[in-house]
Amino acid sequence: MKSLLKHLSPFAPDQSGAVSALFEFGGLIVICDAGGCTGNICGFDEPRWFTRPGAVFSAGLRDMDAILGRDDRLVAKLQAAMQDSDLAFSAIVGTPVPAIIATDFLALKRMAEKRTGRPAITVATTGTHHYDRGASAAWVELFRTFATERVPVESGAVGVLGASPLDFSCVNAGTHLVHALEKDGRRNAWCYGMGAGLDRVREAAAAECNIVVSPAGLAAAKHLKKTFGTPYEVRCPWLPARTLDALPRIAGRNILVVHQQFAANAVRERILSLHPEARATVASWFMMEPDFMREGDFQIPGEEAFIEAVTGGGYDAIVCDERLRTALPRPFRDIIVDFPHFAVSGRLIEED
Amino acid sequence: MNRAYSITAAELAGRGVNDIPPELLSSANLVYSSPATLAFNSPGAQGFGVKRAGLAVPGSVMLLVAPACCGRNTAALGCEASLAERFFYLMQDDTDIVTGRHLTRIPEAVKEVCDSCEVKPSAVMICITCVDALLGTDMERVCRKASDFAGVPVVPCYMYALTREGRLPPMASVRRSVYSLLEPKKKNPAAVNILGFFSPLRDDCELYTLLKSAGVRAIREISRCRTFEEYQMMAEANFNLVLNQEARYAAADLEKRLGIPSIELVRLHGTDRISNQYKLLGQAVGATFDDSEPRRQAEAAIETFRAKHGRRTFAVGEWLNADPFELSLALVRCGFAVSEIFGTVGGANFVYVKRLAELSPGTRIHSNLSPTMMYYRGRDAACDAVIGRDAMYYHPDRPGVPWNDERQPFGHAGVRALFEALSSALDGKVAAR
Repeated sequence: MKSLLKHLSPFAPDQSGAVSALFEFGGLIVICDAGGCTGNICGFDEPRWFTRPGAVFSAGLRDMDAILGRDDRLVAKLQAAMQDSDLAFSAIVGTPVPAIIATDFLALKRMAEKRTGRPAITVATTGTHHYDRGASAAWVELFRTFATERVPVESGAVGVLGASPLDFSCVNAGTHLVHALEKDGRRNAWCYGMGAGLDRVREAAAAECNIVVSPAGLAAAKHLKKTFGTPYEVRCPWLPARTLDALPRIAGRNILVVHQQFAANAVRERILSLHPEARATVASWFMMEPDFMREGDFQIPGEEAFIEAVTGGGYDAIVCDERLRTALPRPFRDIIVDFPHFAVSGRLIEED
Repeated sequence: MNRAYSITAAELAGRGVNDIPPELLSSANLVYSSPATLAFNSPGAQGFGVKRAGLAVPGSVMLLVAPACCGRNTAALGCEASLAERFFYLMQDDTDIVTGRHLTRIPEAVKEVCDSCEVKPSAVMICITCVDALLGTDMERVCRKASDFAGVPVVPCYMYALTREGRLPPMASVRRSVYSLLEPKKKNPAAVNILGFFSPLRDDCELYTLLKSAGVRAIREISRCRTFEEYQMMAEANFNLVLNQEARYAAADLEKRLGIPSIELVRLHGTDRISNQYKLLGQAVGATFDDSEPRRQAEAAIETFRAKHGRRTFAVGEWLNADPFELSLALVRCGFAVSEIFGTVGGANFVYVKRLAELSPGTRIHSNLSPTMMYYRGRDAACDAVIGRDAMYYHPDRPGVPWNDERQPFGHAGVRALFEALSSALDGKVAAR
């Protein structure tokens, strides 16, 4: 059965992606749930929460709130929490509950802005999609709301879009990405949401170019290009060292790389530079942008499809999060090269 | 709102149970899921949430029928390989959560799960979430259909976070679910069940000895049942001892279905109160319990602690195996001080607040879930030791004990163990945080 998981556990959902994108911007984030979704996000999908807990709240919905659609109560609670605080904005993130009762997020946004006197962002996530969908929507909303001013372009300035611990399995990924760009000669780089805060978003037009490191950042890059004419490049300047170190040892010619598409593409480039005779295919459980796919690349629709693709693909090596090992028959478990993906396994890389 | 809200025990008691300030009521505010509260604020979170609790039936597996978001953190529970192999997921998509069409797939999914297991499960526990709460799903009916189709008992577990403060909260409901497979059996006057927890009492708990001294030969807890057959033997009990009020509904169901009456005991930390409770239990079952030795040991542990460490001041949290207000009252009655309590006040524990107001009127009470806890800074607090994992989070620089082990403390043995643990913590021997 396509929707049945017998070996794996669910991947990070859209609401986790939305919170991950917004986490570092100094807003008050309300997850429109009864408590469980917030527990999943703060207790599992947001590793920064344990060292830098911020203003992330559950709406604390109860059955009658949902049945009666008491949005006014939610906004009143939001107003009370924002009062006397220096929080720059509020963000309301959807879950299955508002999806079922068809909450009008645009109305919520207007009500929240009116009651708090500060900008509000709403992300209509439903909990049924993967994290990248929620992150993508949150990034676009963030830039639509705050990047409204056309400031002069700074020479050599580069913004990194689409980075999160869910994508890079590292709470310091922003620093690593910026350092990698500096090594490439980009002396004025910043990473949105992982180091760079709301001021940088407000001055997004100052970037000479944006680097998109995951499909989740692509819609925002397109928005900034349309709004300010900022060009963007798709590439992943930093990847976990342990994965890269393992690539030269890969034996065989037929290699499958499974991750978020842009990181997987970067690993493929590295493999092909090390093993020019190899054939490397990229697959992802998450968004696959057609413009960045090569022949044979594919999206994985479910656990069964993954097992079939691996067992029938004749691969000599699979570069993927080792959590996926549990889904595979025994002979295939030994050809995995670990490429941690927090959105899959909830595992952070070990940093030196 | 830029400082954490708190109220003294005297002020709170003065207002009364019907006038608890809104700052202490989770329903009146956004809920702050601080790292201190994550484990208990979500019915599916760490420890024994609904998901893990549902697997208390030996040999069972769980099929979580939900959107991906509801099953996400199960990956963390699944760190334990034996548990990981027992979780399965039927994912709902956007159409499912609006139309309920996923219900037609459940029987087939249950069968596929059973077929994929090396050993046929004793039961399939179906965990459903807020989605089906709102859809008004008749999961009992769906489970009957799935059971007929797959040839295995299928039991619903309701992880309805939306009803957490309702008549039947998720953790009470799941207790009923895990005992619902018991079939009627001939009664054994020498058999007793202990209900309330998903892990056993500490082995040194005097309750075992006291019951045995009264002629009870079989003391059963679901967590000590290794097989489904052993679990079924719980149906022969003469009575159930309910040690956690969240098991009341399960006990009432067992009384109705199997005719097993129940007696409720409360986890207490005052040795005189504990003795009195055993005396009342003895009267109820027609026995005399002699708890003098375990009581002596508990009081000796308190005295040893006091002699070694003096009259310490504690902060007490609620992520622990105790009611924080009852525990605080017991500490105060023993001559210690309690500067702060992080807890949820309600009708059940307000009686302790009132007594605290008399003995320690200045004790400050915080709500862990209040949005204002974002501003809590524990540096200036007067406590010099802490109890509870949440209190340890707020006071990382103070010695403390998490006191939330899975093995459940109870009675005099629990008190003795607590003071021994506190003594070790103050000696610097415990660093578990």
